[in-house]
Parts: sequence; structure tokens; C-alpha cells
Amino acid sequence: MNWAVAPLLLPLLTALGLLFGRPGVGRRWVAGLSATLQLGVALYLLGRTYFQGMVVLLLGGWAAPAGIVLAVDTFSAIMLCLAALISLACLLYGFAESPVSIEHPLRLPLLQFLVMGINLCFCTGDLFNLYVGFEVMLIASYALLTLEADDWDIKQAYPYVAINLVGSALFLSAAGLAYGIFGTLNFADLAMRAAGMGDDPRVQTLAMLLLVVFGIKAGLFPLYYWLPNSYPTLPFPLAALYAGMLTKVGVYVLARIFGTVLPHDLHFAHHVLAVLAGLTMVIAVLGALSRQFIRGILSFHILSQIGFMVLAVGLFTPLSFAAAIFYIIHHIVVKASLFLIGGVAATLNGTDNLARGGRLWGLTPWLGILFLAQALSLAGLPPLSGFWGKYVILVVGLEQGRYILVGAALVASLLTLMSMLKIWNATFWSEAPDAVVNMDNSRWKRMTWVVGGLTIISLGIGLGAEGVMQVAQKAAGQVLDQQGYAAAVLGATGKGNLP
Amino acid sequence: MQVETAILTGVLFAAATYLILQHSFVKILFGFVILSNAANLLVLSMSGRPDGKAPPIVEDSAVAMVDPLPQALILTAIVIGFGVVSYLVFLLYRLFLDQRTTNAAEMYADTDDSVRE
Repeated sequence: MNWAVAPLLLPLLTALGLLFGRPGVGRRWVAGLSATLQLGVALYLLGRTYFQGMVVLLLGGWAAPAGIVLAVDTFSAIMLCLAALISLACLLYGFAESPVSIEHPLRLPLLQFLVMGINLCFCTGDLFNLYVGFEVMLIASYALLTLEADDWDIKQAYPYVAINLVGSALFLSAAGLAYGIFGTLNFADLAMRAAGMGDDPRVQTLAMLLLVVFGIKAGLFPLYYWLPNSYPTLPFPLAALYAGMLTKVGVYVLARIFGTVLPHDLHFAHHVLAVLAGLTMVIAVLGALSRQFIRGILSFHILSQIGFMVLAVGLFTPLSFAAAIFYIIHHIVVKASLFLIGGVAATLNGTDNLARGGRLWGLTPWLGILFLAQALSLAGLPPLSGFWGKYVILVVGLEQGRYILVGAALVASLLTLMSMLKIWNATFWSEAPDAVVNMDNSRWKRMTWVVGGLTIISLGIGLGAEGVMQVAQKAAGQVLDQQGYAAAVLGATGKGNLP
Repeated sequence: MQVETAILTGVLFAAATYLILQHSFVKILFGFVILSNAANLLVLSMSGRPDGKAPPIVEDSAVAMVDPLPQALILTAIVIGFGVVSYLVFLLYRLFLDQRTTNAAEMYADTDDSVRE
């Protein structure tokens, strides 16, 4: 059996199955088991791609480039693992947070559709299926965003839907133009036909159009306005999944398109990426300082951190790509767990408004320690996981003499620490006498266990940075190896091999 | 044919952009409908000049065929676009029911984003 299809089939079948039946413990078991199974499959694919190279599946047995292919390399497999891990954690957290009786019947199936769309983006080997994957993911995310929304939430959801509709239309246009220029949509075939066309103005235009499309999805300055107001309307477990995975799909696709598909000598586009990334880092973190509630601050931080990853892509060396992949691994785990910790704090305080919370350090020091570990990791203190990614990015930046960008990254890190301290001071350290702490219901303890698991993984990434970096370097090598990618995809034998 | 298609695509994109930037929900909605059609037309035009070509039906004829792939692509894109637009109709209707206004500027006039109530 070819396992490349399992990350799509499992969530799809689970989602279809979950559409039947009422909310109940049984349905939760099905969703949890399926998520565990997905994690297992993703880990298997990671091992397989790391040791034996790419897994290519020709759908219907038709050979590329005429047929549709799924191509999983180490980078895709890493992303699949992270998606499965975060969706599992968010499911378990959601189960602990709310009793079965108040669960919306559509939440679990939509979550599985969302995961399927995300996985399709990671597995696909052609531009049009990437578009389809984006749409599956976006439609599921629109539905989840408005599923349990009140009128304030709906008002915030509208810009999210609107900007993504524009992004989709532009993406469709870009796919059409790519077909017009190259006569193919298959990544491997595109890479071969585009090679050496870096000077062609049509290719450069296409690169900029794709940059805008994926910049909207990733939340690059100045295209990020939709994000910091819409994510805070979500319940905490869903916000953690969105924060962890959705924008990172944009970063993954940026790295994939610029690394694997487009020619490597598009210096102008890479420069634009790096500069926009620098602006994103600083401006978004200033936005974080302006917010007065936990989800708002954390939502702006997603954007600021996106800046670091895209900067690494824009610097465009094998080492910086490895740093980007390392940073993605670190960031997804840390960001999701910060949202979940915020969720526990909001459950205890009954609000995530900084002005009305407080006194948690004295009552639950363990939660405080988890928050500190993850917040300092986000800010980039050694030996926590955030430090290593930033360190490599800064080294590459200094080697290339990009001193302004390196300075921007350092300033952004410092401001990240400041805004994290803002949450720390208001929620954990403050002795505000009017802060209500409700610890009667023990569900927050189960929620804390889930977060604890994620924190241990994140500490492991920091302490085992050498090993993780090795995997990231291998993945970066595969992403940038256009010849190898094309050979693996186009070389797979099936019906209708073109001569 | 190609020049006319290019001009039409441009006009559609311009009209869509203009409509999306309006305040009224109905105009915004029509803007999105036109936008998705503009993108579809752009993809369709990537088949190349249809003049003098046969329709894409497999026969042993010497005449060159029109490239059928863009048609298959927009077929998918039309279905997706239809689903998303119908979602948008419901979203805007719900917004109208909540806020009792169809003017986007009015609706966002007094929003303070920095605090969540």
C-alpha cells in the first residue's frame, strides 16, 4: 500500500463518519482514535521519507505530468506530523474543556475536514490541487469560525472571509497564468520547464502574484489585517489549531513554491520576501503590545513569528531554509500550547481580559511554569527551542550582511518578551483583589495535562536541537533539490508515461 | 479573440475591485461573484487561440484541438466558487440580521479592537 494517501483518507472518512450520529462519548473516541492514527501514519511517513527518500503516489496509476500526483518528502512529512499532533492536542483539550452535552454536533466533523484540507496542501504535487486543498481548508475554517459565533464574532469573521475570497481568486488566476506560461501545473514539470527562466518578466510577475497569494494566507505585512481580529473570536482549542497550523500552511507553500518550483535566481522576489518579513516582525509585535486580552496578544504574535520564518525563506540559502523548517516545528508547538495555556487561565479567571484576571501564580504555580517555559521559548531564550531557530537565521543574516533585518529581528524578540511579560504580570503575577479565580470545577486540571504534554515536546525540541536541526537540514536539502524532486516524481512509472 | 478576452478580463477585474470596495453588502456580494468569474475567464483564456481549432473530442482528425485542461480547471473552480459565494450570502444575511444595517462602514464605525468584551 502507498501510504501517501492515508493523511487524506483518514480525516475524510472520519469526517464523513462523524456527520452521522449525535454528540456523545462514542463520537469523541472515534475522533480521538482517528487523530492518534493520523499521527502514527505521519510519523511513519517521516521515517520513510527521511531514510528512503520521497513517497510518490500516482493517482489512478497515471504517470506525471499528465496524471495527478501526491508527493510527500521530508518537509511535507514534518508538517503532516505537526498537523496531526496539534489536532490531537486540540481535540483532547476540547474534550477536557467542555462536556459532551454542550458540544456542537458539527464541530468534530468540520475539524476533520479542516485537517484534510491542510494535509492535502502538504501532500499535493501540483498547483491546482494546492488550490483545491486551500479551498477545502478555507471553507472548513469559515464554517468553524462562524459555527458558535455571536454577533460580535460574526462581525470579525467577515473580513477573514472577504480577504480569503480575494486570495482564492488571485490564486486561481496565478494557476491559470502558470499554465499559460509553462503548459503544465505539476510541480516537478514546472520546475524543469521554469529552470533558467528567472530573467523572464512573465515568470517574475507570476512569482510576485504567488507571493501576494501566499502572503495573504501566511499573514505577511501589509496583508495581515484579517488575522488579529478574527482569530480571537474562536474558542481556545480551535484558536490553537488555527494559530498553529493555518498560517503555517502559507509559509510551507511559500517555501515549497520558491524552493522547489520556481527558478532559484529570482533575487528580486526573495529580497521582497525578506524585507516584508522584517516589517511584519516589528509591526506585528507592536500590535501585540496594543492589545489588552490574551487571545489578541497571542494572535498578533503569530504574525510576528511568521516574519522570522519568511525572513529565513527570503534569505534563500540551504542553511536558512533549514532554519525556517526548524522554526516552523518550534513555533507550531509553542504557539498552540500558549493558546491552550491562555485557555486554562481564561477558564480559571472566567475572562481573558487582562484587566480582570490575576492571582494565578499563587494558586497554580505549575500552569505559571508552563507559561513561562513557552513564553520565553517564543521570545528566544537559550536553551529553549525558539533560540536555536532564531540563532541560525541571525547567523545567515549576518553572513549576508543584512544588518537592518538582523536588527529588526532582535528588536522584535525583545518586544515579544515585553508583551509576554504583559500577560505574565496581569494574569499570573498580579494580586488584583477583584480578580475572580474559580477552581471548583476540576476540568482545568485535565486541560493542563494536555498543555503539559505539548510543553514537554517543545522542551525536547529545544534540548535535542541538534537532532531536530539535522532532520530540518535534510528536509531543506530535499526542498531545494529541484532535480531530485523532478526525478522522483516524473520517474515514477505508471500508465501513459510520456516519452 | 485573445485581445477581446484580455480586455474583458481586465474590465471584469476592475468592476469587481470597484464593487468590493463599496459599503453596501449587496454590491460587495456582486463584486465577489464578478471576481470569481473574472478569474475563471482568465483561466479559460489560457487555452490559447481557439480560431481554426477543433473542439476537444478525440477523433483521428488532422485539425489541432483546443486545449481542454483549462475547461476542466474552471469547472472545478466554478463549483468551489458557487459554494463559497452561497456561504457569503448567508454570512452577509446574518450580519444584516444582527446589525440591522447593510452598510459596512456603519457597522465597523464604533469597534474597539484592543479589548474583547
